[in-house]
Amino acid sequence: MSTGFVEYRFSHLLKRPLYVGGILEYRADGVLVRKVEWPYQELTEVTGDQVHITRTGKPPRTVSLQRVPQLRVLLDSFRALLEGKLQPLSADFDIALEDAAAGWKLTLTPKGAQLRKHLAHIDVFGAGDHPSCLEAVEHDGDAALTLFGPAPASLAQAPLPGRAELESRCRLPAASAAAGQ
Amino acid sequence: MTRRGWILLAAWCGLLALGVAWVQQRLTVSADLRMFLPSPRTEQQRLLVQNVGESPASRLLLIALSGDQPAQLAQISKKLAASLASHREFELVANGEQSPLAVPEELLPYRYLITDSFDGAPLDETRLASALAERAEDMASPAAAFIEELLQRDPTLELLHLAERWQPRFEPHRIDDTWFTSDGSRALLVVETHAAAFDPEGQTHALEALHAEFERARGESTARLMVSGSGYFSSIIKNRTQNEAAWFGTAATGGLILLMWIAYRHFGFTLLGALPLASGALAGLAAVSALFASVHGITLAFGFTLIGVAQDYPLHLFSHLHPGLTPLETARQVWRPLATGVASTCVAYLAFLMSGVTGLAQLACLTVTGLVVAGLTTRFLLPHIVPEITRDPAGSPLLARLNARIQRLPRPYLLLAVIPAAAVAVFLLRPEGFWQNDLSRLTPVPPELLRADAELRREMATPDLRYLLVASAASEDAVLAVLEKLDPALERAARDGAVGAWDHAARYLPTVAVQRRRQAALPEAAALRAMLERVVADLPFEPALFDPFVEDMARARALPPITRENLSQTPLALRVASELFPRDGRWYGLVSLYEVHDPKIIADIARTQAGVTFLDLKTASQELVAAQRTHILVCLEVAALLLVMVIWLALRRWSRVLRVLAPMVLTTLVILAVLRAAGVSLNLFHLVSLVLAAGLGLDYALFFEHASDDPAEQRRTLHALLVCSLSTLLVFALLALSTVPVLQAIGVTVSLGVISNFALALLLTRERAPA
Repeated sequence: MSTGFVEYRFSHLLKRPLYVGGILEYRADGVLVRKVEWPYQELTEVTGDQVHITRTGKPPRTVSLQRVPQLRVLLDSFRALLEGKLQPLSADFDIALEDAAAGWKLTLTPKGAQLRKHLAHIDVFGAGDHPSCLEAVEHDGDAALTLFGPAPASLAQAPLPGRAELESRCRLPAASAAAGQ
Repeated sequence: MTRRGWILLAAWCGLLALGVAWVQQRLTVSADLRMFLPSPRTEQQRLLVQNVGESPASRLLLIALSGDQPAQLAQISKKLAASLASHREFELVANGEQSPLAVPEELLPYRYLITDSFDGAPLDETRLASALAERAEDMASPAAAFIEELLQRDPTLELLHLAERWQPRFEPHRIDDTWFTSDGSRALLVVETHAAAFDPEGQTHALEALHAEFERARGESTARLMVSGSGYFSSIIKNRTQNEAAWFGTAATGGLILLMWIAYRHFGFTLLGALPLASGALAGLAAVSALFASVHGITLAFGFTLIGVAQDYPLHLFSHLHPGLTPLETARQVWRPLATGVASTCVAYLAFLMSGVTGLAQLACLTVTGLVVAGLTTRFLLPHIVPEITRDPAGSPLLARLNARIQRLPRPYLLLAVIPAAAVAVFLLRPEGFWQNDLSRLTPVPPELLRADAELRREMATPDLRYLLVASAASEDAVLAVLEKLDPALERAARDGAVGAWDHAARYLPTVAVQRRRQAALPEAAALRAMLERVVADLPFEPALFDPFVEDMARARALPPITRENLSQTPLALRVASELFPRDGRWYGLVSLYEVHDPKIIADIARTQAGVTFLDLKTASQELVAAQRTHILVCLEVAALLLVMVIWLALRRWSRVLRVLAPMVLTTLVILAVLRAAGVSLNLFHLVSLVLAAGLGLDYALFFEHASDDPAEQRRTLHALLVCSLSTLLVFALLALSTVPVLQAIGVTVSLGVISNFALALLLTRERAPA
């Protein structure tokens, strides 16, 4: 199972938003692979308890998920979404589903205090059995927005859209899902 | 009894009371098991013995919480850790919650003095640029939320670098941020007690506090608490021994009173019979407390057991009393075999005085003094206060019939050949494990507790328990310097696969020299700001974002070097305290090793570096025990020679000497063969018990040998020895029921010895009555 993605990151620590594009893959052996192809090459593999991050020209870095529990829950939820199973998520999140004709919106609100410290909620938008966009919002307004589907070929040339515009694009699952096919 | 007798009795009792008062004031009982360890001869053995009991690691208690859902157990673990952390019985508490990142605010700038990141090349513009570029990429990676917390203050991620470097190679599994066993069934905690491991009182207090806090933290939960560790063991052994001693003492006293009543039908004898023993015990106690600073609990327990033989002395006197002879004349009559017995037993115990083991020397001092005093009082004081009797205690027809029947028994001299042959056969058939070389088996801790402890330690991922490098030097900083110098060699060994990983205090606490060098290489604030301005131009960061970083760096440049003291309030304290400590005016640094594949290479590293010793705990302890045993065996051989000489001096004829020695020698073989057949490996306590049994056998044989042809005299001797052996058997059979392995070993060994010695002395030593 694999899909293209573009991820935008808005942070108060940054002068300008960051964005990267590439491929997300959930392999049959349970390894989650996030391959960034633009603007640089980066490979993240999540195997069991370990996150391996490899960048060109750098020694690979390994982070134990035990050390960063919030990352573990995020990855678990991501995995659950890709597998289309919501059950494992309910341990860590309150789940709310809004279903409309055009598409659906899943809101995940973290239960644990530790996770709540970093994360206000995650909204997942989609249509049919395809999630199309995932928006993780922090309490201070920082957010990471991931659009699924093939990365626009023009990512490098196109001027960076504003946050408002990206968010509205994210919330139009039907449209983006259609665009992605 | 005469008026003079009453006065003497009163004076005697008064003297005993005074003795009790004096001993109570003087006596310091210690529970330091090292008193029973042999004196170390090599540097390795010295470190080994030091390592037992006093190292901070030995003050650690391992705690497991089970019996509820993991989430609940994690909650309880957190509550318990919080309450114990502020408790005065405990120094440190760890349950996985505190990561090494959780250091006090004021210590954070020290990361630039501790990290080795800039040792090769200083933090210049190029390095800063590459670090910040990486951070920008991190901010778009899945780890962004985590990096954000550190970005402003620590853009080069030194804290992360240190945490990774310090991360225990195998950290216990975590659930909800607390340590768990790998199957998730038990939450794990480690606490360090204030009390030393061999301070049972202190450990008991700490355990009580622990249980109380657990009850509070548990609330409604069904969770259970399990504790393990040296301190817990010393507390449990003390309580167990005390409990057993109480019921055991009661049962033995009751049994002995009953036995005395049946034997003498005179209540006064029971009371008077206790006087020599009490005097001996008190004199022995007084002697050890005068000669030694503190006396080990085992010495006392053991010593009283050994002195128990003295209970026999008045029995010999009593059994030989009969109308027509004054007690004083009777005492003179039994004095010869009695004195020979006392003298030869004491000579045997003197061997322990030369054993080089403090605990055994104390034991010898206590026992020899006790036996001599008990013997002398039996001879010179007791006869004056014993009432003259009108009835011969040995005059019963039952005894006469028994005596006659024994007389008719064949004398199985064949046993002289059969027993040694059988014993040799057993030794040959079961040659393995004759001696117990494992020092840890000397512990009186029940095996099931040791198993549970080993399991917990495995879950807590403690380092290799067998191999260790030990650095020593005159000061804290000098030890750290030695440790730092070890690193290149260890890195090579790790590359070659000789060792998986290692850990020592200098990884957390560099030497002053290294810290100063790093300090000097850090950029000044103005230079750092200028670098940042230039570097962030192409990056998505504002330069002001890194103000906290610039401030930390400036502070790091001005800090006095960090020492062991500074770490006391951090999660690192536990580790550093167990790896770096002063003792006897010297400083020691331990290097824990993980996954040792080639101990020879590690040993070579130690050889080439001054101030470093390679410690193979298993071999060192085995050598230590073996060396100690060889030494004790030599002492015993000397003792055996002396004993034969004493007996020869008393009996003056080799045929008599042989008849006296035969039961004792054969019994020793019988005991050894039985223990061997049962697969028991012999330890120090068995040796002591064997000596005790031999002493008993000698007494029995001396008295049987001494008995003249007069049938009445023979009956009296038989009566005395029946009472003696039955009372000894009673005491040691009770001891054999003990749940404390050491006491049980003594009980079994001596019980066997009593039975075998009595039977053999009866059959082999007594002369056949003329037909």
